[in-house]
Amino acid sequence: MNSFRPWAALLGVVLACAPSRADRYAGADELAARVDRLLEGAWKKADVTPARRADDAEFLRRVYLDLAGRIPSVTEARSFLADRRADKRKRLVESLLAGPRFPTRFASVWRALLLPEADVDLRVRLQGPAFERWLRSWLASGRGYDSMVRELLTASDQPGRGRLAVSPLGIFYVAKENKPEEVAGTASRLFLGINLGCAQCHHHPFADWKREQFWAFAAFFSDLQPRRVDRRAPRERLRPAELRIPGTEKVVRAKFLDGKAPTLGGGTPVRQVLADWMTAPDNPYFAKAAVNRTWAHFFGTGLVEPLDEMAGTESVPSHPAVLAELASAFAKQKYDLRWLIRAITATRAYQLTSARSHPSQDDPRRFARIPVRGLTGEQLFDSLAQATGYRDDGAAGRRNPFGIGTTRNEFLTRFASSERPTEAQTSILQALTLMNGKVMSAATNVRSSETLLAVVDAPFLDVPGKIETLYLAALARKPTSRELARLTRYVGRSGTEGEALADVFWALLNSAEFVLNH
Amino acid sequence: MSSFNDLSRRAWLRLTTLGFAGVSLSGWLERLAEAAAPNPARKRSCILLWMNGGPSQMDTFDLKPGHRNGGPVKEIATSVPGIKISEHLPGVARQMKRLAIIRSMSTREADHGRATYLMRTGRAPGGPIQYPTLGSLVSKELERPSAPLPGFVSIAPQRLINAGAYGPGFLGPRYAPLVVGENGRGGRRGDIARALRVDDLDLPGGVSERRADDRLGLLDDLNKDFLAERPGGSAVGHRTAYQRAVTMMRSTAIKAFDLDEEPAKLRDRYGRNLFGQGCLLGRRLVEKGVPFVEVSLGGWDTHGNNFEQVKRLCGILDPAWSTLMDDLADKGLLDSTLIVWMGEFGRTPRINGGNGRDHWAASWSTVLGGGGIKGGTVHGKTSPDGLTVAENPVKVPDFLATVGTALGLDITRQNNSNVGRPIRFVDPGARPIKEVLT
Repeated sequence: MNSFRPWAALLGVVLACAPSRADRYAGADELAARVDRLLEGAWKKADVTPARRADDAEFLRRVYLDLAGRIPSVTEARSFLADRRADKRKRLVESLLAGPRFPTRFASVWRALLLPEADVDLRVRLQGPAFERWLRSWLASGRGYDSMVRELLTASDQPGRGRLAVSPLGIFYVAKENKPEEVAGTASRLFLGINLGCAQCHHHPFADWKREQFWAFAAFFSDLQPRRVDRRAPRERLRPAELRIPGTEKVVRAKFLDGKAPTLGGGTPVRQVLADWMTAPDNPYFAKAAVNRTWAHFFGTGLVEPLDEMAGTESVPSHPAVLAELASAFAKQKYDLRWLIRAITATRAYQLTSARSHPSQDDPRRFARIPVRGLTGEQLFDSLAQATGYRDDGAAGRRNPFGIGTTRNEFLTRFASSERPTEAQTSILQALTLMNGKVMSAATNVRSSETLLAVVDAPFLDVPGKIETLYLAALARKPTSRELARLTRYVGRSGTEGEALADVFWALLNSAEFVLNH
Repeated sequence: MSSFNDLSRRAWLRLTTLGFAGVSLSGWLERLAEAAAPNPARKRSCILLWMNGGPSQMDTFDLKPGHRNGGPVKEIATSVPGIKISEHLPGVARQMKRLAIIRSMSTREADHGRATYLMRTGRAPGGPIQYPTLGSLVSKELERPSAPLPGFVSIAPQRLINAGAYGPGFLGPRYAPLVVGENGRGGRRGDIARALRVDDLDLPGGVSERRADDRLGLLDDLNKDFLAERPGGSAVGHRTAYQRAVTMMRSTAIKAFDLDEEPAKLRDRYGRNLFGQGCLLGRRLVEKGVPFVEVSLGGWDTHGNNFEQVKRLCGILDPAWSTLMDDLADKGLLDSTLIVWMGEFGRTPRINGGNGRDHWAASWSTVLGGGGIKGGTVHGKTSPDGLTVAENPVKVPDFLATVGTALGLDITRQNNSNVGRPIRFVDPGARPIKEVLT
């Protein structure tokens, strides 16, 4: 984190000179209102009773986890809850978007999408931090989403020498083994919402994509040089932007997925031509795929599912008009991710509670209640550290740039997860780690826990006040009167107040309410 | 640990009779009771002996005496006339009636990470689908939901090279392995029995059993309120995992990890090293009904000094494996336990300049044994120089289909994947090797 102070300061300067908050929301509020009308119309039509509005505490915790990747501190929670201004939710979103945790959080989300190999392949993992740094600097700069895509797709893969000496972007290609079909498949899935996986070997069973179309698309990356199986065989000499379909005699020339042939040979590199087509405002897939993915970030479910197979299949959007509104506005705003997030977080749907009050709220595709989602390992560890004041003794640093063997990394290995966030599960080892593990033991021991010690020793707090502080630290809310009465009794019954408070803290940190986003 | 159980049960009862802990805790007690009862319908288990790094087939199960590629290792006879294996595996040779050697593995990945993923999931790496490892797949089919121990235990894995190949993939953490002795911790000099115990099983220092019960009572109250308003998968999954973890902590079955219960002589026979004791632990877990256990032995990446290395590793492998077979048989478990011996690939038939052998996926060996396997068989054949498969090539899906069939699984079973498409246990088109199945 330290290395980010300079640009955080710089960002502060930029923001100070930037237009006022009201201007940055220009259009975003209107877009949110249009989305609200569309969703409300759909609820009415389907006879859905939406959940009530989330209270401030529930919104606070959720938006911190979604934008900053951790829960708020006690101070942050207290000041937000005490704030009486009508627009405080927007102000909070704004400060989180300007803060240093936003680039960290979204870089980690996009790293997992673009470079999933880093979770499993040691060689790629070593380059993961550099790749994430590149993503962070893009996010911190405020440049559009399209600029990230363009930079990635036009990057050269081998600036250095040797197998590990690749640029932060080169590792994207190395992880895909420099195979045109792998890179093209990834790009179309993630940036266009089109899954061509099946068309690689045969005509797509459900969709219109033909095998030839897939390879013509892959031919945009024909300059990549995959490692050859047989090193003695001579490299095939084809013209630029040409590729032979493996196992056949057929040579195809680069073509966009809409079937149009690009104008090549005008001095523009082939991959640049592709990136221009992809990110053009009138590309029918690009903005839709981006807003769908961003929507799913906040709601656990996209407007079209699966996220990677939006187009060309039988996937039907739950709210086509919402998708269209968001996509066209996003393109008009020059793919400004922060602006899109302002709009989505301002919608009524995002501000609903996760508490169920009517059976019609159960279908996640109606967005009538906020779903309960699992936390990523990063969110969970950083929230635990935030709640307990835990400091990782062996954190990644100059001596250990990859953070191998640190408590955080050990924790992340155990909490790595690849399932859908709305169907998050917990393993036995995870439960054991949270109940009895090193981090939790330290956090719930009066002698070693910063938070607990501060609470137990606070001379100005009575027992209910101490319990309230622990609730704010772990759950970012105050206890209900029933909870407070029950726990005050519990602490009173116990011989040692410190130990009883430690028990309360332990239960809070192990609760479903703590380990889930809701 | 023994008084632990009694105390905690009394504590649970105290909690429930006071009405303090409510309905869900009494559910836990039923689970504990059920876990203690014997299970007549025990299905077949699997112990995978995973040879990390890729063992040399030329010096273990497919020797080429007299050929330039053969090297100095000699053949010995086995308990089955006509079948010969390496002189470094005399114990395994005596088990040959219970084993089937496949000498015609023909796979396509010769990179450690990629091949590990391929052999352990049945699928080539790459693409958006995160495939589950064999143990997760098998345990999902075979575990009893009420069992006190998890359905998949991984002993001494070295997961760094390709962590995905060891994980539950799209099946999710519910089917993640319980891992002990990771990365050879406790290895040669350390306390092996300790390394093979489950992490974080004991209560944090200074927390008594009674206090732990109080904490669980508080937790249960919190969760009840939260769950009442938020029904659905994630919150229920959280509670289930805690119930399973607490059940395990307090069950007598967890004593399976306490190797000190075994006679010293038997422990000696397995070998007083991580792999040997890991195999013993494997038997103890299978005895408790755990459907899938894997035990890893690393060091097979013998690019240099191959022959010394293989000899040393066989010195660990041979007693452990052969004792495991006998021990399972003695306990009446051999017919209901499938043993799988494999690495991610084999090694080059040609000997390199450093007296070593390099990565080789074109023609190599694996071994199956125990339950469901026709012992005393050799399937497939390589050419005299070992460079190609001469008869009956076996591909990865065929091999895993054989494993699945031997375990009594329906290999056409589908699971929902993380990309919303159903995925079969093994690729469609995979055919079990009938010749090695009973």
